[in-house]
Amino acid sequence: MTGLRATLAYVLRQPSGAVGLVLVAVHLLIALAAPFIIPYDAATQNAAAILEPPSLTHLFGTDRLGRDVFSRTLLGGREAMLISTLSAICAMAWGSLLGIVVALAGGLLDAAVMRVVDAMVAIPWILLVMLFVAALGSSTAALIPLLGFSYGLSVVYLARSAALDFVARDFVLAAQVRGESRWTIAVKELSPNIRDSLAVQGAMQWSWIFLAVSSLSFLGMGVAPPTPDWGQMIADARGIMRTAPWTVVWPMVFLSSLIIGVNLAVDAWAKALGIERLGRTPQS
Amino acid sequence: MLRFVIAAAVISGAVTFTAAEAAAEKVFRRANDLSYGGKESLDPISATRFYEVNDMVYSRLVRQDDNGEPAPELATAWTSNDTATEWTIALQSGVTFHDGSAFDAADVKYTLERIKDPALESPLASVLDFIERVDVVDPATAKIVLSKPHAGLPLLLMDYRVRMIPEGSGASIATTGIGTGPFKIESYDPEGQTVLVANEVYWEGSPKLDKVVFTAIPDSEARNQAMMAGQLNFNTLTLDQIPQFKDNPAFSVQNYPAGGWFGLVFRTDTAPYTDARIRKAMRIPVDRAEMMKLMVGEGNGVTGCDQPVKANDPFRAPLDCPPDPEGAKKLLAEAGYPEGIDIEVHTADLEPGMVRFAEVYQQQAAKVGIRVKLTLAPSDGYWDDVWMKVPAAITSWSARPADQILNEAYRTGSAWNESYYANSAYDQILDKARATLDFAGARALYQEAQRILFEEGGTFIPYQQNGLRVLTRDVQGIKPLDEDYIRWHLVDLIPK
Repeated sequence: MTGLRATLAYVLRQPSGAVGLVLVAVHLLIALAAPFIIPYDAATQNAAAILEPPSLTHLFGTDRLGRDVFSRTLLGGREAMLISTLSAICAMAWGSLLGIVVALAGGLLDAAVMRVVDAMVAIPWILLVMLFVAALGSSTAALIPLLGFSYGLSVVYLARSAALDFVARDFVLAAQVRGESRWTIAVKELSPNIRDSLAVQGAMQWSWIFLAVSSLSFLGMGVAPPTPDWGQMIADARGIMRTAPWTVVWPMVFLSSLIIGVNLAVDAWAKALGIERLGRTPQS
Repeated sequence: MLRFVIAAAVISGAVTFTAAEAAAEKVFRRANDLSYGGKESLDPISATRFYEVNDMVYSRLVRQDDNGEPAPELATAWTSNDTATEWTIALQSGVTFHDGSAFDAADVKYTLERIKDPALESPLASVLDFIERVDVVDPATAKIVLSKPHAGLPLLLMDYRVRMIPEGSGASIATTGIGTGPFKIESYDPEGQTVLVANEVYWEGSPKLDKVVFTAIPDSEARNQAMMAGQLNFNTLTLDQIPQFKDNPAFSVQNYPAGGWFGLVFRTDTAPYTDARIRKAMRIPVDRAEMMKLMVGEGNGVTGCDQPVKANDPFRAPLDCPPDPEGAKKLLAEAGYPEGIDIEVHTADLEPGMVRFAEVYQQQAAKVGIRVKLTLAPSDGYWDDVWMKVPAAITSWSARPADQILNEAYRTGSAWNESYYANSAYDQILDKARATLDFAGARALYQEAQRILFEEGGTFIPYQQNGLRVLTRDVQGIKPLDEDYIRWHLVDLIPK
């Protein structure tokens, strides 16, 4: 735990890290508290209050259906956060497992699996996801495995290369000589050594997946109404950006501050752990 | 993007040109939206017809007067036999095509018989397939012979696509645009500029404008900017765009009855919508006035009771349907859903408002325990993969006259019968209406058909939407009416 506290202290000492962490904390707080603090039901339409500018009655104004933009904005990140968290866990789980397995196995299996992964990475994620959404329909339940699969591909690279750094080391060889199973070696010898890199990668994956979910909602394939969502709010209000800017500005501010916050915090965290953060692969 | 850059370059070039020529020439500028990606065709019956241009270069036999009723254009009079199977059409004399050839009954025969040509796959074929043949009685008289009686033929001849072309011109008409209209094609390039010049010998009098220039601008926001900058004289708008023009003295905004509509279609052949009580329960709880207010704003449309017929159509049924949540609950309970019902509705972000329409319905229906799960399908391929496939989906239609839409979308087995409605009594009423020569009699029958649809149909149509356009202040002669009502030879530019 001292390790975690030291890392946290290091992150907070860096201005960008502190800003990032605060942004993330505020967003988490809002997401958790939103249902209890919103002044209006986010789905209730009001024909008598269409496109009202911000006022004391409606802090962020109202949208084209007379709904309260403040309430919608506070709630608008929750569903995407949930999807991103579950998808990121899914991506990290299968991606790291496969990466470590092929790193340990080496040879033909490694080569074969990695060529398949290369080929999959060549397909833009959005095409892949759109293909499946078209076939299966859009629902939270379908999005999580889809995004988890598609974002897990880049995790395979990271986990494999991180593991490869260690497979030839003496302590791994010693374990092999002791006759320990591959599974034991992966869990006991390799995992503790690559855990930090994977954790940083996981946090980055989360923010990329969050952007992906927002993009899908913007395109009408993500979070479905009446659940409010930032991407969906921006898509709906983009045509009236000039005449009713309040409908589009707030979801934009919330979305970008969350993503920026996560990135700043993760950068500082990676620095604290002494690891280079993996750059975005073409997949992302 | 590239197209946008080209369009912008073309416009700025055009503006320089205007400054020099303005005094000498009256040039009316419009934009086309490239929604067919450059396949915009001067063939009036093509599925990708360039209708904005075609309206100006061709004439119909029959056009609508300001009230939407048939009025003479190239036809001076029409009469049918007692059974409405043969229509005799008297034609304007002294009318010439842009190539100098005379317009006569042979051209009418050629134009109307061509619509059925299976090779052309014209969307009009499904509307006018009962025209068996056209006989040339003499050069100024054509006789249209029908395979089934139809008293409403003149209404269908008013269709914006039934435009006269010269006999034998089918192979070249898509690029020549030779018609009898007030403007002639000077150059045709749907991806760049299409230039029309006045037809000085137009049979109703020489047009007041010298030229009409269409510039391709695919992006609606870019069209708006061009309008703002004074580079266009005429543009159609969506409701959100009005505030930018409304209080600006350089422009006038027109709000006119157009009749396009969104609807929610329940497939009558799929459970639970096979039960007419459930279909009605889905439609009657909605506060249609509020829905219209939320969607398009008050005064920008006409609420209705699921009539698909355009708002100013003489055959539209005058129905009244205030929200009836109690009635809906009762119907649901009778049909076995006393605790409400879960349904799934498909929509797509295809046209502005199509998702919002479903969201408003979702809220309205929740009042009576209809719990709607909204599924957003990809826009791409929506009309192929989702519409008419899933049990309930949002639909979108442009305005159509009574006989056309009541047959096209509700007659048993017709290709675009989106609710799979099958009711032989309904079909017989339409047959009878077509065969009824007397206007009041036909109207009673068409209205009866719409009443049946309200009672047991599968399509929810809360309102018909108005059209919106913006004109520069110097434009004269365009009434607040739909596009195909405009008499282009009377349009003028008078600087103020």
